[in-house]
Amino acid sequence: MTSFADFANVCREIENISSSLEMTERVAEFFKLVDTEELHIAIYFIMGDVFPDWSDYDLGVGTGLFYTSLSKASGFSVDEIKKIVRDKGDIGKTTVEVIDKRSGSQITFDMFNKLKSKLTLNDVYTTFKKIAAINGKGSHENKLKMLQYLFSKTTPEEAQYLARLVLEQLRIGVGEGIVRNAISKSFNVPSELIERGYMLTNDLGVVALAAKKGGIDEVKELSIQIDRPIKLMLAQVAPNILKAIKDMDNAAIEWKFDGARLQIHKNFDDVTIFSRKLENITNSLPDVVSYVKAQVTTDTVILDAETFAIDEDGKPKPFQEILKRLRRKYDIEMTTRDIPITVKIFDVMYCNGKSLVDLPLTERRKVLHNIITDSSSLSVSDQIVTDNVEKVEQIYFEAIDDGHEGIMIKNPSSPYTPGKRGNNWFKKKPIMETLDLVVIGGEWGYGRRTNFIGSFTLACHDEKSGEYLPIARVGTGLTDENLSELTELFSSLILLENGRNLEFKPEVVFEVAFEEIQKSKNYASGYSLRFPRLVNLRTDKSADEIETLDRIKDLYNSQRK
Amino acid sequence: MFKATIEASLLKDSIEILSVLVDEARFKISKEGLSVKAVDPANVAMVSFNLESEAFEEFEGDDTEIGMDLTKINDIMGVAEKNDNIVLELKEETQKMEIHIGGFSYTLSLIDPSTIRSEPRIPQLDLAGQVILNGSEMRKAIKAAEKISDHIMLGIEDEIFYMEAEGDTDKVRLEMTRDQLIDMKAGDARSMFSLDYLSDIVKPASKSNEVELNIGKDFPIKINFEVANGKGIVNYLLAPRIEAE
Repeated sequence: MTSFADFANVCREIENISSSLEMTERVAEFFKLVDTEELHIAIYFIMGDVFPDWSDYDLGVGTGLFYTSLSKASGFSVDEIKKIVRDKGDIGKTTVEVIDKRSGSQITFDMFNKLKSKLTLNDVYTTFKKIAAINGKGSHENKLKMLQYLFSKTTPEEAQYLARLVLEQLRIGVGEGIVRNAISKSFNVPSELIERGYMLTNDLGVVALAAKKGGIDEVKELSIQIDRPIKLMLAQVAPNILKAIKDMDNAAIEWKFDGARLQIHKNFDDVTIFSRKLENITNSLPDVVSYVKAQVTTDTVILDAETFAIDEDGKPKPFQEILKRLRRKYDIEMTTRDIPITVKIFDVMYCNGKSLVDLPLTERRKVLHNIITDSSSLSVSDQIVTDNVEKVEQIYFEAIDDGHEGIMIKNPSSPYTPGKRGNNWFKKKPIMETLDLVVIGGEWGYGRRTNFIGSFTLACHDEKSGEYLPIARVGTGLTDENLSELTELFSSLILLENGRNLEFKPEVVFEVAFEEIQKSKNYASGYSLRFPRLVNLRTDKSADEIETLDRIKDLYNSQRK
Repeated sequence: MFKATIEASLLKDSIEILSVLVDEARFKISKEGLSVKAVDPANVAMVSFNLESEAFEEFEGDDTEIGMDLTKINDIMGVAEKNDNIVLELKEETQKMEIHIGGFSYTLSLIDPSTIRSEPRIPQLDLAGQVILNGSEMRKAIKAAEKISDHIMLGIEDEIFYMEAEGDTDKVRLEMTRDQLIDMKAGDARSMFSLDYLSDIVKPASKSNEVELNIGKDFPIKINFEVANGKGIVNYLLAPRIEAE
C-alpha cells in the first residue's frame, strides 16, 4: 500500500517545480511506484479530485465542518484556527501550524495498541467514500468524527495536503493534461490513446489501470459503459453562417433550443438521466423517464438531448424555468405537472452494446430514427443537410421566431468527440456572446451593503495547470435582493476571510456579458473584461466547464480581426 | 438461528448503550447470548457489551453474526410500553429481523456485517487507580463540568478522587473521599477526557448504582457497569486528550 505521506511528499516536490515537463516526469515516477490497487486513487488525488468525474459521490465537507474537525484533532478552538487562517492567509499553512502545535488534543486507541500503521491512500479514499455516503440524522457528527480520525493520524505536513484535498483546494498545478502525459510516460502508451480512453470512460483512473495492466492493447479495448456518463461534445461559436458552412461543403443544420442538455442512458428497464454537469438528475424527471421507456425501442442506448419548458401554446419558456425542473428534489409530481417539458433527441453515442462515437453524424442520425418513436413530448430533433446559405438563414430565423436560441451547424461526416469543442459543431446565436466564469473571491460591500458581498472576482480555467485564474470583477447590476441571495449562497463557500476580502471555493458559475476582452497586467490570467455584468447564475454548469484560458485567448484574437 | 423475547426497557437500554457511540453494530449471537464490540468513527471510544441468554425472557440462538441499524430499532421502539415483551426473530433466508411489539409486527432489513467497521482491537492497559461510585452522581458531575468546559480531568490524589473542569475563565472541582465512594483503589491516576464523549457514555451508566472507573496517567479510562441484574456487562473505553508537553 502507498502511504499518504508519499503522496504528500510528491505534492510538496511538485509545488516547487515550474516546468510542466519536469512536473510530468515527477508525476509519472510517482504513478510507477503506486500499488496497482491504489493507482486510480493516486490519479484522482493528484488532480485535487476526491472522486472520479462521473461519480455520484460528493464529499460535501464545507469549511465549517473542516474547522471543527481540525479543532478536535488539534485542541485549538475554531476561533483560534480562524484567527491563524486570517494571519497566514492560507489554509494549508494554517493546518501545518495547528497540527504541529496540537495540545489538549484527542488521541486515539492506535497509540495504546502499539499500532504503527501509516495512513495509506486507500485508508483516506475509503474514509472519503464513507463520509460521502452518510446522510440523515447524526450525519454531521459522524462526518466530523471520520475527518477527525484522519487528521489525528497525520503529521503536520500530511495534514496540510489532506486539508487541501478535503476542501478540493489542492492546487499544485497538476491538471488533466499533465496526468494524461504522465500516464502515457509511466506505462508506455501513446498519449492520444490515453486521451481517447479518457473521453470514452470519463475516468483517468480506469484508463491508467488499463495502461498499467495491459498496455496499448488494453487501453484500446476501453469503451463507453452504459450508466456511466461520458463527456458531452461541445460546439464553438460561429462568427457567421457563411464562414461556418464554407469549411464543410454540406452542413447539417438543427435548431439550437433554449433549454438544458441531457444525457440519457437506457439500460433495459432502467433509465438514468445526467445533466450537463454529468450529475444524476433522474429523480427530478420522472416524465422524461417514462417517455424514454415508452418511445425508445432498443435495450441499451446512450442519447444526447436538449429539454425545454413550454407554455400553453407550445412556445419555449425562459431558461430559468427548465432549471427549476432540473434542480427539484421535492414536490416533483407537482412541478412535473406545472412545468411540462419537451425533449429533443439529437444524437446517439451507444446502442445495443456498441459504441457509435466513431460513426459519422449522418449514420448516427439514421440509427436515431430507427430506435425512436416520435411524440409531441419526446422526438428526434429535425435536421436538414444543405449547402444553401439562404436556406440555412431561413432555418435560423424560424428558430429565433419560435423563441429558441439559434441554430447548430454540424459537419455531417464528423464523429462524436466527447469533451471536445472542435471544428465539427458550431452554434450561431444572435445575442452577444457571454462568458461562463467561476466565482473565486469577493468583497464585503460598503455603506448600505456592509452585510452583503458586494463584488465578486471571476476566473477562467487554465487547463494545463488546473488552476483558476482571475479575469474580472462584477459588482454593478446587482439589486439588493440579488445581493442577499448571493451572499447566502456564498456564505458556505468561504475559504478565507481577510478583512473585507473573501476567497471562495470555486463552485458557482456566473454567466457574464461584457463589451470587450482586453490584455491586462492586473489579473493573473493576463486578460480583463471591459464592463462585465452578471447575466445569469449558471447552476447547470460546474467549475470545470467554464471558459478556458485558451478560449479567452481565441476570443481576444478573433475580436481583433 | 435466533429467536428471543426481551423486556422492552432492557432492549431500549441495550440499544442506547451502543448508539451513544455508533449508528450500526455487528451482533454476535451464540447459545450463551449476545455480544457486541464497537468503536466510534474517530477511534476514540469503544464499547464491549455482553448480554447473557438468562437476561432474556426466552432465548434460542446458534452461532451467527448480524448487522443492525441502531437508529431504526430505536425509532420503532417508540411504540413499546415499558413492560411490553418484545419478540425478535431472525429470518435467515431473507436477512431480515422480525420484531413483534404489542400488536405491531415489524420486518427490518439487516445490514451486511462486513460493511460495518470491524471489531476493534481492545488495548491491554494497566490502570493503577480504581473508583466505584453511583452512576447518577457521576452524571451530575459531568453535567456540572459541561457548563464550564469541553474537557474534564479525572484523577486520584492522596486518597481523594477528583473531577475537575477548567474553561477559559471558570473552573469547577468535585472531590470525593473514600467514605463518599462505594470503593476506591488509590494509584497514580490523572487523565483528561473530552466531555462530548463522557456525557454520552454516562447517560446509560447513570442508571446503574455501581459504576467502576479505572484510571491511569494520560491513559484511556475504563468505565464498567452491569445491566439486567448482572446478566449483562458493559465496558466502555475512552481515549484521553493529551496536554502539550
